[in-house]
Amino acid sequence: MTGGEALAYPVRFAGDTLTLNEAAPGFSDEQLGKARAGEAAALASLIQAHQRSVYSLALRMLGTRDLAEDLTQDVFMQLSSNLKSIESNTHLKFWLRKVTSHRAIDQLRRRARIETMPLDEEITPSSTVDHGDPLLQRHLRLLLLNLSPPARAVLLLRYQEDLDPIDIAKTLDMPINTVKSHLKRSLEILRQETPNPAPVRCEGKST
Amino acid sequence: MNEKLESRLRAALRPVAPRDEFTRDLIARVAADRRSSFDARSAHGRRPRARGWWLSAGMAASLLVAAGIQHRLQERHERERGLEARREVIEALRVTSQKLNLVYEVIKNQSSSPADDKPGV
Repeated sequence: MTGGEALAYPVRFAGDTLTLNEAAPGFSDEQLGKARAGEAAALASLIQAHQRSVYSLALRMLGTRDLAEDLTQDVFMQLSSNLKSIESNTHLKFWLRKVTSHRAIDQLRRRARIETMPLDEEITPSSTVDHGDPLLQRHLRLLLLNLSPPARAVLLLRYQEDLDPIDIAKTLDMPINTVKSHLKRSLEILRQETPNPAPVRCEGKST
Repeated sequence: MNEKLESRLRAALRPVAPRDEFTRDLIARVAADRRSSFDARSAHGRRPRARGWWLSAGMAASLLVAAGIQHRLQERHERERGLEARREVIEALRVTSQKLNLVYEVIKNQSSSPADDKPGV
């Protein structure tokens, strides 16, 4: 699903109607029920199905692997205590994104500035497909760390999690217009700071 | 221009997996946390305080029932003793009445016999 696409299906919980992306592949509502009942294998599947999303959000919000791992662990421990209130796999994804984003924003606000590492550890692509210039991607990830925590969360939910502005607003408890203005402003900053790669020319010597 | 930047952002922000060791540790920690919360909930169900309360209430109720039964038995015993005494008094009165009747008969017979002893007078 790409970011601009319509959302998969509406879901209701906590008196609110949400339209979210499809649930994580490889983890069903049935397995969620088993995890709620305390089945260890289902709980392990739940973590494996959702940890990538939680960890990536945490890593790109906080900037270092250690902080991201701590936050990921805290989020899943909190989930463990709140598993009874999770109604479906879609609700679970919403809950994880919401808690991770809010915790990361709080953590960033508490610390005036976190010393960030260059995020070298995250250059471990999930597939071998060529996704473009790795240096440019690293540059974009570093630029992301200079944005304000809420703007960073908005951009990550939009381009990493493929949520549309309505769902981002619900996840971050933010007015939709604020989400849109964060997106517009952040893209403008990134555009100004990103160099356009020069076209590669093959110059052969002709004699 | 915007679309190009957006596609670059999507490529740069592809989700990444954490270290395998971290995943293993995380699963172990969450599973242990779930287990301990289950154990705590089970222990919560058998609270010594709650058990003590029920024990005290049960003992108090048993004492009350026992005292009630004892009181009833004593009452019945006293009533039976009263009835027995009444029966004895009635019996005594009956015997006395019989004796008096006999005495009355003897006196009556004695008082009528002298006239019978003087024939021809």
